[in-house]
Amino acid sequence: MKTWQKLQKHPSLWQRYFLREKLIRSIRKFFDGQGFHEVETPLLAAHPPAESYLEVFETTLLDRQRRPTKAYLSPSPEVPLKKLMVAGLGNCYSLTKSFRNMETESKLHNPEFTILEWYRVGADYKDIMKDCEDLLKFINKSVILGSEATPESDLKDRFWTSQNDDKKKHQIIYQGRKIDLTPPWERLTVVEAFATYAKVNFEDFLDFQKAKIIAAKKGYRLESKTTWEKLFNQIFLNEIEPKLGQGKPTILYDYPASMAALAKTKASDPRFAERFEFYINGLELGDAYSELTDWREQEKRFKEEMKEIKRLGKTEYDYDHDFIEALKVGLPTCSGIAVGVDRLVMLLADTDDIADTLFFPASEEFGSP
Amino acid sequence: MSTITTADFHKGLFIEFKGEPHQIVEFQHVNPGKGSAFVRTTLKSLKTGKVQEFTYKSGETVTEIPIETQEMQYLYKEGDGYVFMNNFSFEQLQVPEAILSDYLHFLKPNETYQLLVHDETAVGIRFPKKVRLLVSEAEEGARGDTVAGAGKVVTLETGLKVTVPLFIKEGDTIAVDTATGQYLERA
Repeated sequence: MKTWQKLQKHPSLWQRYFLREKLIRSIRKFFDGQGFHEVETPLLAAHPPAESYLEVFETTLLDRQRRPTKAYLSPSPEVPLKKLMVAGLGNCYSLTKSFRNMETESKLHNPEFTILEWYRVGADYKDIMKDCEDLLKFINKSVILGSEATPESDLKDRFWTSQNDDKKKHQIIYQGRKIDLTPPWERLTVVEAFATYAKVNFEDFLDFQKAKIIAAKKGYRLESKTTWEKLFNQIFLNEIEPKLGQGKPTILYDYPASMAALAKTKASDPRFAERFEFYINGLELGDAYSELTDWREQEKRFKEEMKEIKRLGKTEYDYDHDFIEALKVGLPTCSGIAVGVDRLVMLLADTDDIADTLFFPASEEFGSP
Repeated sequence: MSTITTADFHKGLFIEFKGEPHQIVEFQHVNPGKGSAFVRTTLKSLKTGKVQEFTYKSGETVTEIPIETQEMQYLYKEGDGYVFMNNFSFEQLQVPEAILSDYLHFLKPNETYQLLVHDETAVGIRFPKKVRLLVSEAEEGARGDTVAGAGKVVTLETGLKVTVPLFIKEGDTIAVDTATGQYLERA
């Protein structure tokens, strides 16, 4: 049965889908109230950001003589937003569709998804951490606690307010676990997370040869194409991610520099970059950086990524030279984040499947194998 | 034993995990932030029934476990198990209820089913998508309900209750979808 048919049959299902419109309104209110500019960025991109972990959607732009030019569906609004900050826009955000290929057969991904990116000028990733805490609190207040329009009170029952606390303690239930959204959230470095949950000494793990031995001892399979990043993520996904964001959201920060293509490295330890992700009950909701402003470093990383894209046999494209030109003019010190809006709806709707948040999920439109 | 990759994964597949036979209950692809692709699986141990999650690297090789399909006749229920007999060797096999739980209401004595066997233990059943069952109890006549598509509830020989069109009578044989438990047609 298609979603529209289910909705016709069970009108109570509408409430779950209406969470999205409430959420979108709430996000706009949050940023507009702080003087951020909302920017529309192209969905049809000439140069997607060079990131080897992504596969892009390639299409063809035809001129009036049918002469073709390669075009791509944008995988993120990041580069256009940064160009506008170079031009002097200041704090800004984009709430838009993004596209990533080869991400089917998953409850966490839809090939076309809604992304929220915001950037703060003069800020670093610690400021964005605070933004995340405030945004989630605001969403909870306006979407859930302020929702008189849910007579079934099905939603309200999941969110209770502590009577003797003036500040209103915000607690939500996601997939059977109570999560307290009250700031400050748990803050954990990648190094601490590996030590605590996987009993891995990250100093050793940074060395690829030692990392292989550590992974092999844990019973993970090593193959010729196993990269350091894959070992990192396999241990992370198996032993760490499921433990994050229980009781309180977790901010996981300071990633290895190799895993942050557009982030600034830490002045105190250049092996790590100022990047964080935040998790609620194992669900990854956002990915943030202190943005890289050095055009030489950016160009170097882009070229490395292009090589990696070629090596992996993914769709090849030229990196955005115009973006390097913009960085030469000077990107102000800034920090920003990409948040999965569909995943926020998952959280509010208490579902573990992104398809439950979409009227027309790709799995339904294209059929799932 | 044959080597496969995560690209061959499907629900119900039997693979070796940490040296023990397991069945893939569920799997999905995940892409961690700024990372390559992985496959998150839910695995059920054939020995202990314990269910656990494991995340494979996309493209990682695993060992598929050889599973034998045996044609077996269902004989009777005994204690917590169900006794089946191999149609060729006449050997009997006790099948735990967990394996049949989705199909208990369709199971008919003396019918032949395809059982999946590993190491002389039943690990699964390949149940037909539809079965024919006798209507053992049905109300006589319609209740004057003239709404198009109106139906009534009848009881089948296995005890299963299904909603059927009004023209179905006691003694009829009907086809039922085993995935949904719904009436398909008069057989």
